[in-house]
Amino acid sequence: MEHVSAKGNFNLRGIVVRFGFLIVFALFFAFFATWNPVFISGNNLLNIVEGSAILMIIALGMTLIVATGGIDLSVGIALDFGAAFAVVAMKTYDMGWGSAVCAGLIGGSLVGLFNAALVVGLRISPFLATLGTFFIGSSVQRIFTNGGGPISHRRMPDGFRNIAQGDVFGIPSEVILAAVLVVIYYLVLERSVWGRRVHAMGMQRSASIVAGIRVNRILIACFVFASITCAVGGLISAANIRMFTPLSGFSYLLDAIAAVFIGAALHPRGRPNVLGTVAGVLFLGMVTNGLNLMGLNFNTKDALSGIILVSALALAVAQRNMRNADGD
Amino acid sequence: MTEAAFRLRDIVQVFPGVRALDGANLTVHPGEVHGLVGENGAGKSTIIKVLAGVYQPAEGHIDVGGTAISPATPEKIHAAGVRFIHQELHLVPHFTVTESVFMGQELAGPMGLATTRMRRAAEAFMRDQLGSALPGNRLIRDLSPAERKLVQVARALIDGEARVVVFDEPTAPLASEEVLKIMKAIEQLKSRGIAILYVSHYLNEITELCDRVTVFRKGKDVAVFDEITADTGTELVSAMIGRELDAFFPATSRQAGEVALRLQGFSDGQTFEDVTLDIRRGEIFGIAGLIGSGREELVDALYGLRRRASGTLTLDGTVLDTQSAANAVANGMVLVPRDRRHDGLVLPMTVEENATLATLDESSSLGLIDRKRIREVTQKLIGDLDIRPANARAVTRYLSGGNQQKVVLARWLAKSAKIFIFDEPTVGVDVGAKSEIYQLIENLASEGAIILMSSSDPIELVGTCDRVAVMMRGEVRTIIEKDALNVDHLVAMTTGATDMPEVAHAG
Repeated sequence: MEHVSAKGNFNLRGIVVRFGFLIVFALFFAFFATWNPVFISGNNLLNIVEGSAILMIIALGMTLIVATGGIDLSVGIALDFGAAFAVVAMKTYDMGWGSAVCAGLIGGSLVGLFNAALVVGLRISPFLATLGTFFIGSSVQRIFTNGGGPISHRRMPDGFRNIAQGDVFGIPSEVILAAVLVVIYYLVLERSVWGRRVHAMGMQRSASIVAGIRVNRILIACFVFASITCAVGGLISAANIRMFTPLSGFSYLLDAIAAVFIGAALHPRGRPNVLGTVAGVLFLGMVTNGLNLMGLNFNTKDALSGIILVSALALAVAQRNMRNADGD
Repeated sequence: MTEAAFRLRDIVQVFPGVRALDGANLTVHPGEVHGLVGENGAGKSTIIKVLAGVYQPAEGHIDVGGTAISPATPEKIHAAGVRFIHQELHLVPHFTVTESVFMGQELAGPMGLATTRMRRAAEAFMRDQLGSALPGNRLIRDLSPAERKLVQVARALIDGEARVVVFDEPTAPLASEEVLKIMKAIEQLKSRGIAILYVSHYLNEITELCDRVTVFRKGKDVAVFDEITADTGTELVSAMIGRELDAFFPATSRQAGEVALRLQGFSDGQTFEDVTLDIRRGEIFGIAGLIGSGREELVDALYGLRRRASGTLTLDGTVLDTQSAANAVANGMVLVPRDRRHDGLVLPMTVEENATLATLDESSSLGLIDRKRIREVTQKLIGDLDIRPANARAVTRYLSGGNQQKVVLARWLAKSAKIFIFDEPTVGVDVGAKSEIYQLIENLASEGAIILMSSSDPIELVGTCDRVAVMMRGEVRTIIEKDALNVDHLVAMTTGATDMPEVAHAG
């Protein structure tokens, strides 16, 4: 396997394997900056970060589930439930904003518990189980809202509105929330004993069982933890627009998956990881923002961003395969 | 003497820094099954690649069926009727048996693919040449590993041109009962006058199946056995490692202590029944038994990997909960599993991550891993067990079998467990590392651990164990004490001697 490794053979391939994605990231950045100098203004960069906050949060949850070796197609449902429970708590039950936040998080956790019951209890594969949760969750929302009408709540308590619209030293609160979650996820998934076990379980379940890891407990905790995280995204979204819009979480699903897989490809051993996910999310946010600034029409922009996303994923996968072929 | 099917003479193959083959010879005659054995790195796979025309040796002669082939290229070798059954299957799971057999060599008729003709040909070949009644429309993914192997064989031989067939570790992924199917197929090929080169780590298969055996060591053929006798197994091992067997197993003056671990009435309701065993502290207690004897299932049930219908486990009189693997580990019982690559290691993880997987709590504070501490722990384990490469960040997938097994051992040594279950501890491990692993097990026993060793290798059991329980058809038939423990007796007991299955030596 080592026979043909590049020795003294300074080649393009080696550079691509190591830095491929970062190069693409930089090229896009430079391209957008030259096209429209507004792109690199401090204000716009902050816009990118702020606009990526919810996706960042959803993608963190997705990272955790992908690290267990599964996938979660119901992240959007957890987001919707988080928003719905919080809005209904304030509007119908007249709760304070703190209680509403708790209600939202509990709402999200129901989605995770349901997933865990399907995956751990009934041994359905995560893909099918969370797909089922997605359909059931969507129907529940439609029934509850008589076909999908939004529930608006104009007189939302300030405390709740600050989740999205407040700021600390000029940094928007949703960015701070996302950053805090990034730090927590990083510590939990990449630095903690528990996270190491999650990775082990995701890579080789049978070996993890023999090593004495309680894989079912970990799996349940992961699904619940991830769905609560997504519910935080729902709180931000509800606070932002002062309403609950049914089925709005779905739009984050593909981007979240893409961000996680871009992130995994950035990892030297191809693992899903928090910092990689952050890079993936920022890349997607940059592309969306950059295309907007180019002033393309709506349809062209959508097609372009799709092409870029697919190419980024293809590159990420190719990079990982080349790396595996090199035996590292 | 008939013309040799192929003859390799004085082959020298040099890689940068290594003489992989140093004047090696290998001759195989038509209608014989010829074994090729040797430690990892002895040059077995190199000489196969030379025969295949993949490597061009610096010196030496290759002739096939009496005709010299020089230079040997893969095309010429194929044309001369030499076929290779590689270790990897390279089959498409969603293809049928027929499609797989004819992949890349499809038969065409006037209406395009001659599907019916191909199916009949594939089925006839499986039936007549390999003795397997496999329907041509079965999907590969529904086949057992042995059946897939047979499909692979059929694919290589269906053109009817094969004179020589090389099997490279054909049975490595198979359960023992499946091995019989492969052996039966090889017997059939042999009876048709095809020369067979059989490369394997499994010496019991070699001695059962082969008519002659060549032993490689350090790039040379060091011995050729023209006759297989009852002692050939041990002689092969000596020839492979170049020292006597006594030196191979650790010497011991260890005295076993009191009975400490008690299995009472273990049953799983299907594969084993009412197993009761008393195991002493500081004892290496062997469990022998063929596949289907319930030996593997018993091990799984002991460790909580398999549901048990009844049975209690007590350690020094108190009940030990091993209903799940996690409970077993928490209570000081650990397993070195038989399937190292699936159950032993998280292959994409590093040596460090694998070796410390069960002891993370001891190297952490506030739930966060202390990376400096864990590196130290790992370095110490790597040194203690002589794991190579001595790199904590090496990915375990790329380690040799012996070093992979040492990583599994390292994990449990770090855990300082009281009860060790070794299930086939040296399968796929080269002879040098085997010896080290036996020494480690011996050391553990000397320090007062309780050791259960489940193995299908009688030499291993005799060489290391104090007592051996023999299982057959789900029951413990007998327990052989140390002074009655020898390979012949153990094999006779394990196989039921009188109703031994008729396998090889047919021709």
